[in-house]
Amino acid sequence: MSTPLLKVENVTKSFPIHGGLFSREVASVKAVQGISFEIKKGETLGLVGESGCGKSTLGRCLIRLHDVTSGNIFYNGKDITHIKGEELREMRRKMQIIFQDPFASLNPRMTIGSILEEPLIIHNLFESAKDRQDRISQLIDLVGLRREHLNRYPHEFSGGQRQRVGIARALAVNPELIVCDEPVSALDVSIQAQVINLLMELQQKLGLTYIFIAHDLKVVEHVSNRVAVMYLGKIVEMAEAEELYRNPKHPYTKALLSAIPVPDPRGKEERIILTGDVPSPINPPSGCHFNPRCPIAIDDCKTIVPPLEEKAKDHVAACIRV
Amino acid sequence: MSEILLDVKNLKTRFNTDDGTFRAVDDVSFNVKRGQTIGIVGESGCGKSVTSLSIMRLIQKPGTIEGGQVLFKGQDLLKLSDEKMRQIRGNEIAMIFQEPMTSLNPVYTIGDQIEEAILLHQKELSKAQARERAIKMLRIVGIPAPEKRFHEYPHQLSGGMRQRVMIALAISCNPELLIADEPTTALDVTIQAQILDLMRNLQKEFNAGMILITHDLGVVAEMCQEVAVMYAGRIVEYGTVEDIFYRPKHHYTRGLLDSIPHFETGHKLDQLKTIPGMVPSLYNLPVGCRFQDRCPAVQNDCRQTYPPLENMRGIHKAACFHPISDEVK
Repeated sequence: MSTPLLKVENVTKSFPIHGGLFSREVASVKAVQGISFEIKKGETLGLVGESGCGKSTLGRCLIRLHDVTSGNIFYNGKDITHIKGEELREMRRKMQIIFQDPFASLNPRMTIGSILEEPLIIHNLFESAKDRQDRISQLIDLVGLRREHLNRYPHEFSGGQRQRVGIARALAVNPELIVCDEPVSALDVSIQAQVINLLMELQQKLGLTYIFIAHDLKVVEHVSNRVAVMYLGKIVEMAEAEELYRNPKHPYTKALLSAIPVPDPRGKEERIILTGDVPSPINPPSGCHFNPRCPIAIDDCKTIVPPLEEKAKDHVAACIRV
Repeated sequence: MSEILLDVKNLKTRFNTDDGTFRAVDDVSFNVKRGQTIGIVGESGCGKSVTSLSIMRLIQKPGTIEGGQVLFKGQDLLKLSDEKMRQIRGNEIAMIFQEPMTSLNPVYTIGDQIEEAILLHQKELSKAQARERAIKMLRIVGIPAPEKRFHEYPHQLSGGMRQRVMIALAISCNPELLIADEPTTALDVTIQAQILDLMRNLQKEFNAGMILITHDLGVVAEMCQEVAVMYAGRIVEYGTVEDIFYRPKHHYTRGLLDSIPHFETGHKLDQLKTIPGMVPSLYNLPVGCRFQDRCPAVQNDCRQTYPPLENMRGIHKAACFHPISDEVK
């Protein structure tokens, strides 16, 4: 068994809320609570869940864009939870992120060429400007844009093209791991498919490892080897993608899958409609976080915090009722 | 055969901008019957929202409605005075917008906003009656403790709750036609399922006609009986949901259907089929079919004249010189 590329142990992240006299900490948003998993090289782990479930926060913690409150993150066996300065910068070369909003994540005053050159300069990857230009040309070919695009500004591009620029920027420093944070949710369906195909092609070509964060379960199923479902800061279920979608165990996963409108008029008849909203992560319900909305909850669910247990081979779920 | 509520004929809406003139909606015709839901699908910029705003006469400068008719119960809305139109808008035709945060006024309580709408359109009601009705509406759309929620501000509600308030606002005057522009796009799936379910039930109860504008083919399959597929300002295909999903004729419709990842395909990690290229700029449309540069079946005639919307079978129409032959999916 080789060392996993990324190993996460019991990671928790809370954001303090200050208020009152002297701005004392009055409460905290428990965005991510006690998450553990491993990712092998070349694998794609999908993270799904509704807004506010902590999937983006988790993604950012993993590549140290947020400092974790507790827990450990190991990259290739090395603990990177608290590294700083030069060491952290070295590490960042290996881990990159692609953001959701291709409109907000590119500096409108920089040309595409300089956007792509910036990471090369920061990480001091090439001595001469010419080598940098060669690398940029290579990148722009890789993501399917044209070289004459390099002198243009982000506003001159469509959403799909901008997302390609975002991908090229992430690839510039030759990373091993890329966190894709809702990379296609701002795009039209026909463009979405183009970008998904590009991401998968690049993964094969460059041997990349992805953490793919999205709320669209169909997209996640398509790209992921394994999928983790999050609810209010916790992983409630995790399995191989096919197993999870064919054979969901956790009532939340079941409801989530059944809530997706199917593009088929003969679709399914029965649908689990959850009542209520996702509770606030400031004051999550006791016991199982899902209990107030769960169709099969019993009294024990209000007191017992369900552990993430193996319910089938390589298939874990946190529910005492299944 | 139920009565035709809204009949849109050859609607054209033009925008004059500094960069030139373009037609966001070009010769669009369809009708809505009572109790029926029509879906309008297409990608951003295809003109689906402008179509709905044109029906409501909410097009603002630099846009103008250039031509066509919007017959609502036989009378042409485009010919009405502003005053008359104001009475119809909100009263007989109501609209639900995509973003519930920006379409509610943040400085008034939600109760005040619904009450205002009711008082504006139903002048015979007293303030107390209007309040009672507003609370009743909040209850109908499934807001718990409506008496309490009545006094809350939009920011105190979640996205799903705000969308329920928007729906309450829209149905507060018993509209006969409801136009919903991406009503669930900003919501999470479990909340989307709740809202779609609510809209379906309300429509049945009020026997209203509905136009549902969305880019999500899943939502269309679930909610609509008939569908118009729009591309670059025109309807390229129209038919029943079965026509569109099982027997698409236009290559754009086919491309759209193929580019959504499906569950249970079995051949996972395969390439998704895509539509190459991008939607053409409306400022600079090609001569002939607007889909020609992205179409797998393009031929010479496609580059010469725009293909007319031709009848296929039943109500099924497609604007293509080389339509896809029948297949059972």
